[in-house]
Amino acid sequence: MITIDNISKEYNTVEVLRIDELNIPEGQSFGLVGNNGAGKTTLFSLFLDLIQPTRGQITSQGIVVSESEEWKPFTSAFIDESFLIGYLTAEEYFYFIGELRGRSKAQVDELLSGFKDFFHGEILNQKKYLRDMSKGNQKKVGIVGAFIGDPKVVILDEPFANLDPTTQIRLKQLLKKITEERQATILVSSHDLMHVTEVCERIVVLESGKQVKDIKTSEATLKELENYFADRANQEDQYDKTEEAKKED
Amino acid sequence: MKRLLSLSWKSFTRSSYFQMNLAIRILIILGFIYFGGIALFFGVTSFYIIKKALDVEDPLMIVNSFLIYWFLADLLIRFFLQQLPVLNIKPFLILPFKRSKIIRYLLSRTGVSFFNIFPLLFFVPFSIVLLVEGYAILGTLTWFLSMFCLIFMNNFINFLINKTNGYFYGILAITGTFALLEIYEIFKITNIADVFFSSFYDQPYFVIVPMALLFISYKLVYNYVRKHFYVDGAIAKKEEKISKRDFNWLDRFGKMGFFLKNDLKLITRNVRPRQVVLMSFLFLFYGLIFYTQDIYRDMQGFIAFASIFVTGGFLLSFGQYVPAWDSEYYKLMMSQNISYKKYLESKWSLMTTACFLSFILSAPYIYFGWEIFSMIAAGASFNIGLNSFITLYGGALNRQPMKLNEKAKAFSNTQAFSPTQLIITIPKLIGPIILFYIPYKFFNYEAGIITLAASGVIGLLLKNQFLNFIEKTYQKGKYKTIAAFDEKQ
Repeated sequence: MITIDNISKEYNTVEVLRIDELNIPEGQSFGLVGNNGAGKTTLFSLFLDLIQPTRGQITSQGIVVSESEEWKPFTSAFIDESFLIGYLTAEEYFYFIGELRGRSKAQVDELLSGFKDFFHGEILNQKKYLRDMSKGNQKKVGIVGAFIGDPKVVILDEPFANLDPTTQIRLKQLLKKITEERQATILVSSHDLMHVTEVCERIVVLESGKQVKDIKTSEATLKELENYFADRANQEDQYDKTEEAKKED
Repeated sequence: MKRLLSLSWKSFTRSSYFQMNLAIRILIILGFIYFGGIALFFGVTSFYIIKKALDVEDPLMIVNSFLIYWFLADLLIRFFLQQLPVLNIKPFLILPFKRSKIIRYLLSRTGVSFFNIFPLLFFVPFSIVLLVEGYAILGTLTWFLSMFCLIFMNNFINFLINKTNGYFYGILAITGTFALLEIYEIFKITNIADVFFSSFYDQPYFVIVPMALLFISYKLVYNYVRKHFYVDGAIAKKEEKISKRDFNWLDRFGKMGFFLKNDLKLITRNVRPRQVVLMSFLFLFYGLIFYTQDIYRDMQGFIAFASIFVTGGFLLSFGQYVPAWDSEYYKLMMSQNISYKKYLESKWSLMTTACFLSFILSAPYIYFGWEIFSMIAAGASFNIGLNSFITLYGGALNRQPMKLNEKAKAFSNTQAFSPTQLIITIPKLIGPIILFYIPYKFFNYEAGIITLAASGVIGLLLKNQFLNFIEKTYQKGKYKTIAAFDEKQ
């Protein structure tokens, strides 16, 4: 269970994120949606204690993340390429993570064998450093790396971006399977409304750092989200027009 | 051309250089003035110094005969340090510029480099002195012009050889061979070089040779770039072959072996740390400067100073960039299942292991007597027991990110260098001298050695306390460090 308690983050007194209360039960697949600058990555960074909350706290399985390091053993994440070590090959990277999480090479190999389809033959035995791989392949490595060592909380920021269509489908299957088996709480953000609605049981919409919607996913969710963002676009157009009209006056 | 210029002006003024804090800028400018000043100073005085010291009529001849070493060394230094400002051609490729124009611009931009200005700061005043001293005007001018051409020829040659390490070792070997043959008076390259370089003065029309050389080297580079002027060509980053060395044998040593393994990969697979480690290796020979000279023999403070460097080269040069070495993937390190303390301890082990290895490698210094070797041993003890912690502590204050796979740039490189580092250097270098010198003055040499050695042992005993304290400092700065490392340079 992850609990957000009155959290807020300010940069130079400008509030970029403020969530009063949010509870994510164990094993839930949780989706975060919002336009650029809505605060998705900020929220994820707060989960990982990468930035300091201005107020409030996040508790993960009873541990306040900004006060103790005890959340590290059961949490893993892939936010951006700074979660990759550029000078390692994919295998070396996986073994590195495995070692940090107390998994032997054989155990890591076993886990990797389950990702064969996901890798599509482009990751292992490539004789390439991660820094020389394409963005999409880097992403694959990062995502799989986040599943090493049976983490209980997995945070993926924009996991679908840069992936080819086949891999997107594979990733969705993977996430769904994990959710069905209740192996881990999965937190995912995405700009692709279709993907999130397919994968996540619950979707929270952020706008300008505030939670504006909290939806339990159903058949109607995709439509609801699409309408919501279409309305946003309309409102902005409307706003621009009135501004222009004002100027002309 | 104008638009290209304005583009690079923007990239220059908007680069982190100008957004750096004032102190670093001043430091860089001071460094520039310092080295430029040295060049100018010797440009003006070397004529007279040579004349007086060697008692020769024609100092130009002496200079000429040693110019061959100058240019070889110049090439080596360039290979090592000169960054080619060519990286980002991608956006230009699809813009309506003619290729030839971009390439010409690119190549002429390499001309404006410290490595070209610095030699000119020497040769210009030197030539003026020649004129003042009554050397022929035409001859001096053609000689200077030749030097000018050769400097820029080196600039372009570096362009061609920069991607292959073999050239570096080749040139190094040639230079070394020449020097050895010279020292043992078997064959003097300087005699031939003298004829060659003097001809530019004696026969002014000879200036055509360096001019031609410059032109050829320029054309070669031009054609090379032209041929490879595609996104996947010469200018783009090269994809390297992966290294076979995976250091898996270190797994035997448990958790620490695992971290050591990763750090060794970091060092062997990235340009910047390789540079630093090579430098730190050179520090092993630092003692030779001090131990061989009689003036220092009696200045025990200097001996202590040198001894710290002999075993501490790696510690000082590599250690000062902890944690910046991991800046490219710092968020991973901070969110993965590794406690801050473990992380710091692994870095500490790496540094102390290197110290210990350097100490073993320094055994040949026994040649200079036990007195000096005991100083090295005491220095090693200090390095392992105290300096390692001080260095690690200094790292907590250092928040400059670093690009691992790029060469350090002389003078424009500010990556991972900050004034706090300069301040933290004081206890690292002055500390051991004081620890040694005070008991030495009051009692005797042995007392100094023992105090220095004991300080290291005490530090080692307090390891846990030190690490806890350092960890707290790191924890306090954690968010700032993450944010700073996250900034794209």
